Amino acid sequence: MNYDVIVIGAGANGLVTAHYLARAGKRVLVVEQRHAPDPSADIGWVPNAIIRDLGLSGGGLRIEEPDPWITAPLSAGGTLELSRDIGRSAEAIRRISPADAARWPEFCKRMRTLAGVLQRLYLVPPPDIESNAVRELTRIAGLGLYVRRLGKQTVIDLARILPMSIAELLDDWFESDALKGVLGALGVWHLKQGPRSGGTAFNFLHHHVGSPAGVFRPVRSNMTQILAEMKRVEVRRGSRATVLAKHGQATGVVLEKSGETILAPLVVSSADPRATLDPIAIELDPEFARAVDNIKARGVVARGTLTLDRAPSYANLCIAPSLEYLERAYDDAKYGKDSTGPYVEVQRTDGNRLELHVQYVPYTDGTASVQRHQALQQNVAQVLGAQSSQVRLQSPDEEQMQRGATEGHLYHGELTLDQILFMRPVPGWSRYRTPIAGLYLCGSGTHPGGGIPGAAGRNAAREIL
Amino acid sequence: MTRYDAIVIGGGHNGLITAAYLARAKKSVLVLERRPRVGGAAVTEEIFPGFKFSMFSYVVSLLRPEIIRDLDLPRHGLHILPLESTVTPMENGDYLAAWADHDETRRELYRHSPRDAEAYDEYGRLMHFMAQAVKPILGMVPPDPTSFAPSDLAGLVKLGKHFRGLGGERLHALVKLMTMSSADFLDEWFETDVLKATKSASGIIGTFLGPRSPGTAYVLLHHYMGELDGVFRAWGFAKGGTGAVSEAIASAARSFGAEIRCDAGVSKVLVRNGRATGVVLENGDELPAGIIVSSLDPRRTFLQLLETNHLPSEFVEDIKRFKFRGSSGKVNLALDSLPSFTCMPGVGRQHRGAFSISPSLDYVERAYDDAKYGEFSRRPYMDIVFPSMIDPGMAPPGKHVMSIFVQYAPYNLNGGWTDAKREAFGDAVVNTVESFAPGFKSKILHRQVITPLDIEKITGLSEGNIFAGELALHQLFFLRPAPGWAKFATPVRGFYQCGSGTHPGGGIMGASGRLAAMRILKDGR
Repeated sequence: MNYDVIVIGAGANGLVTAHYLARAGKRVLVVEQRHAPDPSADIGWVPNAIIRDLGLSGGGLRIEEPDPWITAPLSAGGTLELSRDIGRSAEAIRRISPADAARWPEFCKRMRTLAGVLQRLYLVPPPDIESNAVRELTRIAGLGLYVRRLGKQTVIDLARILPMSIAELLDDWFESDALKGVLGALGVWHLKQGPRSGGTAFNFLHHHVGSPAGVFRPVRSNMTQILAEMKRVEVRRGSRATVLAKHGQATGVVLEKSGETILAPLVVSSADPRATLDPIAIELDPEFARAVDNIKARGVVARGTLTLDRAPSYANLCIAPSLEYLERAYDDAKYGKDSTGPYVEVQRTDGNRLELHVQYVPYTDGTASVQRHQALQQNVAQVLGAQSSQVRLQSPDEEQMQRGATEGHLYHGELTLDQILFMRPVPGWSRYRTPIAGLYLCGSGTHPGGGIPGAAGRNAAREIL
Repeated sequence: MTRYDAIVIGGGHNGLITAAYLARAKKSVLVLERRPRVGGAAVTEEIFPGFKFSMFSYVVSLLRPEIIRDLDLPRHGLHILPLESTVTPMENGDYLAAWADHDETRRELYRHSPRDAEAYDEYGRLMHFMAQAVKPILGMVPPDPTSFAPSDLAGLVKLGKHFRGLGGERLHALVKLMTMSSADFLDEWFETDVLKATKSASGIIGTFLGPRSPGTAYVLLHHYMGELDGVFRAWGFAKGGTGAVSEAIASAARSFGAEIRCDAGVSKVLVRNGRATGVVLENGDELPAGIIVSSLDPRRTFLQLLETNHLPSEFVEDIKRFKFRGSSGKVNLALDSLPSFTCMPGVGRQHRGAFSISPSLDYVERAYDDAKYGEFSRRPYMDIVFPSMIDPGMAPPGKHVMSIFVQYAPYNLNGGWTDAKREAFGDAVVNTVESFAPGFKSKILHRQVITPLDIEKITGLSEGNIFAGELALHQLFFLRPAPGWAKFATPVRGFYQCGSGTHPGGGIMGASGRLAAMRILKDGR
């Protein structure tokens, strides 16, 4: 059988690209290294456009919007529970700080406006600031006008807040350690930075995109699972695939296990840029190859599961009692060690499956050490007051070994200010193309990046078509 | 009583520059300085008999060449002596050196890493170019992106054109420089840890950030800015210490007719009907003037000199939010003789340059970690120079002065600064130097330890911040010191700001003093 397009990777972005292309009449094959679909939930905003275009609602898409969206234990006993309703959250905050409660509604509103600006940027390819094309210049001017119409305060907030650290931003607004810990944690998600590092306020807003005002955790959905079940595209599982390229032109892929070659004039990879391009580095311009090598993708998150005898009372538990706690957790990672006091989040999904996000567990050298693994599980169990046997974790090193993501970074590249928009995945190549004709990228490593499953995939597909 | 056209509050270098430019334009100008001498943080003082020190700021790097030309500073005694080298002692007894001679530096680097020696030239070329690309921005009044005024829109378009004119590759490099940490930025170029540590150390000076904190890469450019203009190499020591720079500017200002009064601290700015009308001195005297210019930092300018009811509340909030967080200290030593460093024994040409105590990235980062949690660094980053080696007039014959810039010493030290804490901090500094230069401590004749609290007390710089406000991305350009008020005017008519707390800020650069004077003259037309 002949294919028009081969898509590497059956994650959210790979499948979204494949479905968009199939919908446009292309014969598409998806190749995926894993034998079975990943049971973990997709974390992040599912844009309405994707739901509509691909008919996900009919397929049984479930988006979980837990209420309260976070539960954080308080050092003085009891918990802080933040609800989807801004007023109810303010009530909960009032118990620990009346001043913070008073500022909560305004904070929620301002952050929502800023995230709205990002949201608008995320469903289209990033602005090309080098271009002289009238269309592109008009688009950039339109964007400028749109932002200015949101008011003076928004323009100032954008310029002031994006490069800020989340700690500075939160210190401007709040006094409660518990509240700042819960919010600050989102600012360092998947970053090898602490809350006092510049740019973490952007990361915070990035993960707020798509959520209503007052909800600062991305939704969880079964998007990938639904897409995998839809029969529109063929998925071949069980072997890692490498791009084949000759004379600057992509010709297909090779399945690593069998050595089988599958030819197609178009290859789209949702794998991370480095893993995709390294094997064909010889075909690349050295400057471009260096830029790819320079992508910062330093994994710091261990993912896993928690098994409890009974379903817990919370939907989403956050252990990040203060900004200083987060900063100290980061300090360990700076010097290559797992956090002694890690930031842990437990997320309950459908079927009482409890998923863990543990940070910081820095990527080390790509090998797994039993000793480190046990120490980590023990440590996390202790933080949660659970038994070590109830915790299962996968470090970034193990993530790389099993899934090939460079340095185990789930976003295929950190969301720092120098790696977003027209700088992502590498400066000047943000339009999903590569110097290899017929080879496109569509994964989290491209704009708008991780934490918004399918957005990059959709943008890439539209660019290809 | 004479009524002046303009009164400048504060006789630091920016205040003096503003005064000089105003006087040059035939305005009658009075500068009021609280201390017995002009200079602010750029002063030379004989702290111990026979030993003179550039007490705070100690290198001249960025003084704008157009200012040197306009004010004819060399004629007024400005003489810059080049700083020739930087030697970084390493923990293993080795060193990394950068010499005045380019080829020698390359050979030295080759010893550590052939790859880095290769990259060094390309890196230097890029940084030179980037510095040149950024320079026009330092010399321009920042346009306000929230305003729809034609001049602001034109400014924004001009800025956009300027950046696009750089071309893709360089534009990307600029984005990286503005947003990355110096450690990450250097990681893209070099592999030698001690090289990255020494270079990134320049990115943390005056900030409350570590080499791995985003926003520090931009300062790497500063090193390439001073060396550009053809006037002379503007990176080095002033003969007679940095106080001589202030004296030269003061002399120029006087030659244009400005009057400078020392021991004349200002306690209040008088405002009537939303307009500044004069100042009140600490001794109670009132001096009227049509224009009042403050070179003090934004906190003192707006929250101390003025009653806040003269200002919009939003603006007051912005100024209150402006961050200072002083992080640097200084140790000035009188020495019986020069110390010998283990890595390069004896006394020689290395003493005519700087010693950078930045043996590894982790070392500098750990120094920052201490400060993050409210302690001074147990093993601090230090920039050491021996001014008496370059300018023998700084010390009695055969003796020497040693200037140690130290980071980090947080202004908000746990438990607060006390005399005992100051001495403990001084001990940490000399003990760390001793570990790289055994026997050094026995050569110390006198020691002066300056904490950020001391800097604040003596110079008036809030929280002892040497840049009159942190040079963080969200406090630069049209946000310095507050959105909407980055063009040297203030919400009070006739009241202007000209210090380092305004655009472009920081270092003995003088750009803000000059731009403020331009603005005042333009408004007066």
